[in-house]
Amino acid sequence: MKIKVTSVYVDDQDKALRFYTEVLGFAKKTDFSQGPYRWLTVASPEEPDGTELQLALNNNPAAKAYQQAIFQQGQPAAMFFTDDVKGDHERIKARGAEFTMPPTDVTGSTIAMLKDTCGNLIQLTQLARYSR
Amino acid sequence: MTDHEQYTPGPASRAQVRKDRGQNGQEKWTLILVRELRHSPEKVWQALTDPAHLREWAPFDADGSLGTVGATVKLTTVGAPALRVSETRVTRADAPKVLEYKWGGFDMRWELEALGGGTRLTLWTNIGRRFISMGAAGWHICFDVLERLLAGEPIGRIVGPEAMKFGGWQRLNAEYAKQFGIETPNWPPEAAQKS
Repeated sequence: MKIKVTSVYVDDQDKALRFYTEVLGFAKKTDFSQGPYRWLTVASPEEPDGTELQLALNNNPAAKAYQQAIFQQGQPAAMFFTDDVKGDHERIKARGAEFTMPPTDVTGSTIAMLKDTCGNLIQLTQLARYSR
Repeated sequence: MTDHEQYTPGPASRAQVRKDRGQNGQEKWTLILVRELRHSPEKVWQALTDPAHLREWAPFDADGSLGTVGATVKLTTVGAPALRVSETRVTRADAPKVLEYKWGGFDMRWELEALGGGTRLTLWTNIGRRFISMGAAGWHICFDVLERLLAGEPIGRIVGPEAMKFGGWQRLNAEYAKQFGIETPNWPPEAAQKS
């Protein structure tokens, strides 16, 4: 058993695809539609066969309420690991993303938080053992 | 159910695409597909409405008959990596002529015209702009499978990613894209091609 796909809900799949590829730097992995549904995933170019992130359309009222609640509480909907959180912060910010938390040292790691423009907070994490 | 290997889709057939403005001002695309079947409208109607028949060719399962106006039916998308269930209400069911319901947010309209001893079947379905030729290719294959089912030689449905793995799918997708004058969608996406 493997963890191969995880999901975030997004309010607009086209907008999400642009953000997750052009701003965050992931690559589109799967994009197909069957009737009203669109299955859309991205993967990290550093790990093309790694875990995929599904950008799922949030047309589900229950999921929408959950998404809004955790956003308001400042909870990230997804967490990505990096070995250079400061560099990523600069790079992603330069592409227009809004950070709600700049790279900040916490116990054991440095974290930053940004808005994905689709209703979610995303946390970037650099574990202390990766620091240079 | 085991004849998928022997099936090769024919060339792209008549298909049209229409662009409207939706109520929210967004573009609304409709795919219109026509298929002439050598079976009576009554027989085709049954294949379009009866869950046991739908299971043999359609890209969704229905938990009840689609043949009664006002009926509430759950449609489950099959073949996608996740099951997607949407509840639909049949808004029109004039057997064996016109059938209308929604699939998710998409309008589905089927029209059956008697033609000699057979039926001219027309489907109007909404579709996302970038998926027009993919959808036409997918429905084309579904209609081929439907034809065999009606002829009493079911080969089992071919939908979702399984249809895309299919040899003829790429060709149909390209042919329909050409017919509609759109670029062939990038499939599989580059990231997937690398792997």
